[in-house]
Amino acid sequence: MHAQTTTAVLPSPRPEIESRIEIDRSSRSVIIYYWTTSLFWLTMATLAGLISSIKLHSPEFLGGIEWLTFGRIRPVHWDTAIYGFGGLAASGTLLWLQARLCQVRLPYPTLLRVGCVIFNFGVLIGAIGILMGHSTGVEALEFPIWAMPFLVIPYVFIVIANFTMYAKKKTNHTYVSQWYLMAVTVWFPILVLTAEACTNFGAVDGVSQAIANWWYGHNVVGLFATPTGIAAAYYLIPKVIGKPIHSYHLSLLGFWSNAIFYNWAGTHHLTGGPLPAWTITLGIVGSMMMFIPVITIGINHHMTMLGSFHHLKTSPTLRFAVMGSMVYTLASFQGSLEALRSHQEITHFTHYTIGHVHFGMYGFFAPLMFAMMYYAMPRLMNQEWSSARLIRIHFWCTLVGMLVYTLAMCFAGVRQGMMMNDPSIPFLNIVRFTIPFLAMRTLGGLILLTGTIAFLINFIRIITPHRVTYDSPTLFTSDRDWDDVLEREKELAGTRLVDGGQTA
Amino acid sequence: MFLVFTVIWSFALLAGITMVWLLAWAIKRGEFNNPRDAAKMIFDEEEPIGLITDKFPGERA
Repeated sequence: MHAQTTTAVLPSPRPEIESRIEIDRSSRSVIIYYWTTSLFWLTMATLAGLISSIKLHSPEFLGGIEWLTFGRIRPVHWDTAIYGFGGLAASGTLLWLQARLCQVRLPYPTLLRVGCVIFNFGVLIGAIGILMGHSTGVEALEFPIWAMPFLVIPYVFIVIANFTMYAKKKTNHTYVSQWYLMAVTVWFPILVLTAEACTNFGAVDGVSQAIANWWYGHNVVGLFATPTGIAAAYYLIPKVIGKPIHSYHLSLLGFWSNAIFYNWAGTHHLTGGPLPAWTITLGIVGSMMMFIPVITIGINHHMTMLGSFHHLKTSPTLRFAVMGSMVYTLASFQGSLEALRSHQEITHFTHYTIGHVHFGMYGFFAPLMFAMMYYAMPRLMNQEWSSARLIRIHFWCTLVGMLVYTLAMCFAGVRQGMMMNDPSIPFLNIVRFTIPFLAMRTLGGLILLTGTIAFLINFIRIITPHRVTYDSPTLFTSDRDWDDVLEREKELAGTRLVDGGQTA
Repeated sequence: MFLVFTVIWSFALLAGITMVWLLAWAIKRGEFNNPRDAAKMIFDEEEPIGLITDKFPGERA
């Protein structure tokens, strides 16, 4: 007589889990390339920024080294931050998010990895070129001309991958984040090619070059970094708290108004310059119109979070995402008001502008990229972040460092502007007044660097094989979780599972 | 110079046409028909509305 047999059928992973695991596996190596190198450049950029900052209040610091003079190290800071960190972090975000939202595997992984290597090579030789004294002198496009093809060609690969994913998408709708991600891949190549042609290739000359320069300088933030950051926020905030965005209609209004108005705002940087007045007025009007997308996005993010703010205590992703979103609203309001002539009478040519730029980059864009990494990396690597303490250090250093930097620069800038408008005050007295604030700027930079190093340690540990015991839902959808589900079901069945479902 | 301007304007025109074509394609495909569904497309049975999907490592949901 046969013993009683029990049959247990190996359950198939549910389609949603299976699909997500597959998508994450397809993008894992590519995203790690982009994000790891982006953090390397963030560290380098922050170091270069720190050196520049110290030189402002202690000019003798590294003063004997020709390639570390302020005129070289400062553009290295800006260009490695915007291209090295910003370009690579945003590209990684774009690829991972688009694959998830389209529910398709990431196409052309080898091409994208090669593209990442080429892009890094471009940033490296660009930075070395500037340090050797070959800067073009064009703000935000200081990399020598011969470095730019190494940045543009890999971006073509990203554009192709992005459109391929969108063309193959398995969903019926386009999520608002996807609008931003698609738009970025159309806008950014136009920006770079047009600005390079008009400035470094001399298609136009005189003040027209300055217009093209600031059209680019402003838009590289607003039409490249900003849309990627907003796309990340629109995905992460609802996803983490498990609540759809407050108003999808508002989100679309925000996207299209941003698309229409941002492009016009750049010339407000040239207020007081030798340009036709209407050109600057156009920039100011564009800046004012930016209140529409900023308010819609701000309302949407705030209303989505309403009733869920207590999750900030427990979710690292949410902390960074909400910080980024709140600073987006504040920095954008500040930026729009800054465009007004009456405002610029005081703040133009002062540290106030520097404070505003860093408020946006370190307070809005960078935290949203960190949020994306905190959310995606455990899913990609199939293991948890190794240290909650390092995450907390990273968050508080980012917040405090950014606040110290921004408040010091903005306050100093306003006072500096008011003093410069008073002809009875000697210029050197104004310079002396700013020195303590410049030291505070260095302190802010040091705090930011500490946070970056904490994140780097955690990041290196998550991409290297180690297993951390976890019981949080971060790995909810990973295949390791699925293994655990199977294990638990096996224990419950009390049988030996055999492929095919038969057991003796 | 002529070549540079030709490249710039051609590229801008191509990009503009692409965006308009994308918008027309999206409307035709019904992308804007039901925005409420679009807002919910990031959720599914495994990660439904109401589920918190992120915590500090080592901390329970």
